[in-house]
Amino acid sequence: MSTLNAAIDASASALAAERARIEVAVSNLANAESTRAPDGRPYRRRDVVLSATPVETFDAVLGRAGAIGVAVAGIVEDRAPARQRYEPSHPDADAEGFVSVPNVDPAEEMVDMVSAARAYQANLTAISLVRDLLQRALELGRG
Amino acid sequence: MNEIGDAALVALLRRQMTHAVARQVVAAGNLANIDTPNFRAREVDFDVTLNHAVAGTLVTTHPDHLTAAADAPAGPLTRETAGAPVRRDGNSVQIDRELLAMTDAAGDFARAQTVLAAKFRLVRYALSESR
Repeated sequence: MSTLNAAIDASASALAAERARIEVAVSNLANAESTRAPDGRPYRRRDVVLSATPVETFDAVLGRAGAIGVAVAGIVEDRAPARQRYEPSHPDADAEGFVSVPNVDPAEEMVDMVSAARAYQANLTAISLVRDLLQRALELGRG
Repeated sequence: MNEIGDAALVALLRRQMTHAVARQVVAAGNLANIDTPNFRAREVDFDVTLNHAVAGTLVTTHPDHLTAAADAPAGPLTRETAGAPVRRDGNSVQIDRELLAMTDAAGDFARAQTVLAAKFRLVRYALSESR
C-alpha cells in the first residue's frame, strides 16, 4: 500500500543524498590546493554515486506504485590525473620543479553545488505538499 | 433517493483519494531520484489499474473475450513515463513535470476531501438531531 509516509521517506532520503553531494563538493573546493592528503599524495576529487532504492521493497517486487527513494551508493575518487604546475619553490615540487595539484575544477564544483541545492529545494517543496495532504486527511476526523 | 450514508459515493471518494495519494507517492519518488544516473521517471498507469480494479466484476460471454489475470495486484501500477526526454546520464526526470503532478494530485485529493467532509458533516448533523 502506497502511503503518504512512504512519499515523505523517499523525499527525506533525497534530502540526505543531496546534502551528501553538497558536503563532498565543499570538501573538494576546500582541498583544491591540498598537495598532501592523509596518504601523502595530493588530494583527489571525490564524487557521490547515487542509486535508486525502493522505500517499500514488498510493493516494488509486486510492481505496485511505491515510493522510490535514493541512497548514496558510495563516494568514489575521480580517476582524472592530478594537474601539474611549474613551481620550483614549492616544498612538494619534484626534481623538474613541477607540483602535482589536485584535479579539482572550482567551476565544476560550483555547478554541482547549485544543482544539489536546487534538488534539495524541490524535495522540500514535495515534503510540504505531502504534509498538506496529510493535514487535510486528518481534518476528516475533526468535528 | 439516496440514504444519508451514501456508501457508494463515500467509496468512490475514498478511491479518488487513494489514487491521488498513489500519484503523489510516485512523483515524490521521481523527484527524489532527480540526479540518479539511468533512472527513468515513472507514472501511475491509470488504464491498467482501472482494468485490474473492474476485472472482478466482468463476465466473459464469448471465447474471444479477454480474461483478467487471477492474481491482479490490489494497488495502483506504474509504468515508465512515455515520451519523456532522457538526459545524457540516462535520467528522464523533469523537475517541473513532477512538481506539477504533485500539485495536481494535491488538488484532486483536496477536492475529494472537501466533498467527503461535507458528506460526513451531514451525517453528524443527522446524528446530533439537527442541533
